Amino acid sequence: MTTPAPADLERGSGASWMELWDRAPCGLVVLNEDGTIVAANSTLTDMLDIAGADLPGRSVEAMLTIPARIFYQTHFFPLVKLHGHAEEIFLTLRTRSGSGVPVLANAVWRDRDGGGQIHCAFMRIREREKYEEELLRTKKAAELASASKSRFLSMMSHDLRTPLGAISGYADLLALGVRGEVTEEQQADLARIKRASKSLLGMLDDLLTVAREQSAQLPMRLEVLSVRTELIEAESIVTPRFIEAGVGYRRDESAPDLTVRADRDRLQRILLNLLTNAVKFTPRGGRVSVGCSAVADRVLIHVTDTGRGIPAEMLGRIFQPFVQVDADDATNQKGMGLGLAIGRELARAMGGDLAVESAVGRGSIFTISLPAAAAP
Amino acid sequence: MISTEQKVLRRNNVKVFGRGTQPMVFAHGFGCDQHMWRFITPAFENAYRIVLFDYVGSGGSDLGAYDAGRYGSLNGYADDLLEVCHALDLRDTILVAHSVSAMVAVLAARREPERFARLVLIGPSPRYINDVPDYVGGFERTDIDELLATMERNYIGWAKYLAPQIMKNSERPELAEELTESFCSTDPEIASRFARATFLADNRADLRDVSVPSLILQCSEDLIAPNAVGEYVHRNMPRSTLRLMKATGHCPHMSHPDETIRLIEDYLHDDAGAR
Repeated sequence: MTTPAPADLERGSGASWMELWDRAPCGLVVLNEDGTIVAANSTLTDMLDIAGADLPGRSVEAMLTIPARIFYQTHFFPLVKLHGHAEEIFLTLRTRSGSGVPVLANAVWRDRDGGGQIHCAFMRIREREKYEEELLRTKKAAELASASKSRFLSMMSHDLRTPLGAISGYADLLALGVRGEVTEEQQADLARIKRASKSLLGMLDDLLTVAREQSAQLPMRLEVLSVRTELIEAESIVTPRFIEAGVGYRRDESAPDLTVRADRDRLQRILLNLLTNAVKFTPRGGRVSVGCSAVADRVLIHVTDTGRGIPAEMLGRIFQPFVQVDADDATNQKGMGLGLAIGRELARAMGGDLAVESAVGRGSIFTISLPAAAAP
Repeated sequence: MISTEQKVLRRNNVKVFGRGTQPMVFAHGFGCDQHMWRFITPAFENAYRIVLFDYVGSGGSDLGAYDAGRYGSLNGYADDLLEVCHALDLRDTILVAHSVSAMVAVLAARREPERFARLVLIGPSPRYINDVPDYVGGFERTDIDELLATMERNYIGWAKYLAPQIMKNSERPELAEELTESFCSTDPEIASRFARATFLADNRADLRDVSVPSLILQCSEDLIAPNAVGEYVHRNMPRSTLRLMKATGHCPHMSHPDETIRLIEDYLHDDAGAR
C-alpha cells in the first residue's frame, strides 16, 4: 500500500475498505483546493504508469495533458468550486511517457477545515471515445451538407425565377397582340403557358421558403390574429379551385371566433398549403371542411377531407421535404412534396405544430395547433 | 421605452451593490461568469460600489445579443466592458480582471483611460502561444487546437448542442438557466469562439499604451500564465506593480480568496506606490 488513503475511508477501517479505495475499477484522486494531489489510488497510478508514491504533493496538472490543464483551470475547477460537483467531464490524462489517456471525470467538493478538497473519479474511455468522435464528425458533416444544400436550393430557385419571369412576360405581350394578331387557338396556348409558368413559380417559392427556413431564420412578426378572418382570407384564394375540382367546402361557423398568436404570412401559407392539398387529393364530389377548437392554451384548426387517405406507413414521412404519398405515380402532377414540410416548419417556428390523422379510404384530418391569444 | 443604458445592463446581466461610492468593476475570465467573484466581493462591499457583469455569451447574459463578428476578437469584449461603464456612467473606476479579462481591461484602459483609477490584473497574459526565440507564452498552437477539441467533446452531451433550438426558446428561459447552471459556460459555438479570441490573441503591443496604474497578481506555478509572462507584462506596462502570490494555480480569487483580497487592499491603500 503505497498511497495514503483519505481519512474518511480509514474511519470505515479494515482491509476491505482500503482495497476498495485502492483497487476500485476507476482512478480516484483527492486534491486540495489549490490542486495539490493528496492521495491517488493504484488504479489511477497504473493508468498513468507512475509509481504510487510519486503523485502526492504534486499538482494535478502533472497528470493532465496541456490542453486538459487549461480546461481544468478554466472550466473544471470553477465548476466544482462554484457548484460543488461536476459530472461527465472529458479530460485527457497524461502518462509518464507523455501519451494521452482519455477519461470521463466526475468530481465533488468536500468542505474541510481551512479550505476544501476535490474528490475525483476517472473512468477510462476507449471504445466509447471512438463512437463519440465518429458521432461528432458525422453530425458536423451532416450540418455542413444540409447548409450547403439549403444554399444550393435558395440559389437555384432564385436563378430559375428570372427566365421564368421572361417566359410569362412575353406570353403576356403576345396575348395582348403587341406582336401581331393572335388566333383563338394561340390564345388558348398562351393561357396554358401562363398557367404552367405560374405553377412553376409557386413551386420555386416553396423551394425558396424551405431553403430560407433551413438556413437563416426569417424574421417573425407575431401578432394576435382572428382565426375566422384568416380562414376567410385563405378561402378567397382557393375557392375557385374547389369549384373547378367539384369538391365541396364548408367552414364550421358554429364555433366562437378564436384568436391565436402567430405570424400572418406564415399562417396564410400553412392554410393555403393545407387547403390546396385537400382539394388536390379529394376526388370530385368529395368534401373538405374546416373547424377550430381551443384546448388548454392552444387553438387547433382542423382541415378534414374525404379524400383517399394516407397509408399508415407514410404518415410519419409526409412531413419530410420531397416526400409524396404517390411519388411513384408517373402521372403525378401535384407538386414537389414541399407543402407539408414547409407547413410543419412554419408552425413549429411559431411555437405550434402541424399533425395529421388519416385512414385509407376515409380521408385525412390535418391539425394546426398554435398558441392561443387573448382577443385584441 | 427601454433606454440604451437599460438595454446594456440587461444584456450584460449587470449587478450593482455595495455601500461605497467609488466603483469597483469585476470582469470574469474565459469559461466562467460573474459568480466566480463571490468569494472576493464581500470584502469590498462596505467601501465600494461593486459592479458585476457577464460578457455577452457567458453566464446570464442575453445570448440573443451575441454577434460572432464583434466577439471574434477581444476588442468586442472590451466594447462590452466600456458600454457597461458608460451605462452606469462610471468614473474613477477600479477594474479587477481575471485571466483573459486582464487583456480586455488593457484594451479598455487604452481606449478610455479617463474612466479608470486602477487596474488589478489577476493572471494576465498578453499572448498564450510561444513566439520563439524571444517570448514564451507557455503554449504551442497545437495545444490550443487540442483544447478546442476537448471543449467540443465536453459540450457534446449538452442538450443545447443536440437541440440548439432550446436555447433560442425565449418563452422558456428556465431551460437556458438550467443549462448554464449545469456548466460554467454557455453555448458551445460561443465558448469555442471565445477560446479562439482568448488563446490566439497577441496584445503585447497594447501594454505600453496603458497609462492607468495597475497591479499584476501573479500566482506561483500558474501554467496558464507562467511567472515569466507576469514579469513580461510588468516590464512592458508603465506604472505597473507586480506581486507574486503564494497561491498556486490560475484562479486565486477562488482558491485563495484571503490572500487575493489582502493584496488588492494593500495596493488600493498604497497611494504612493501607484500614483
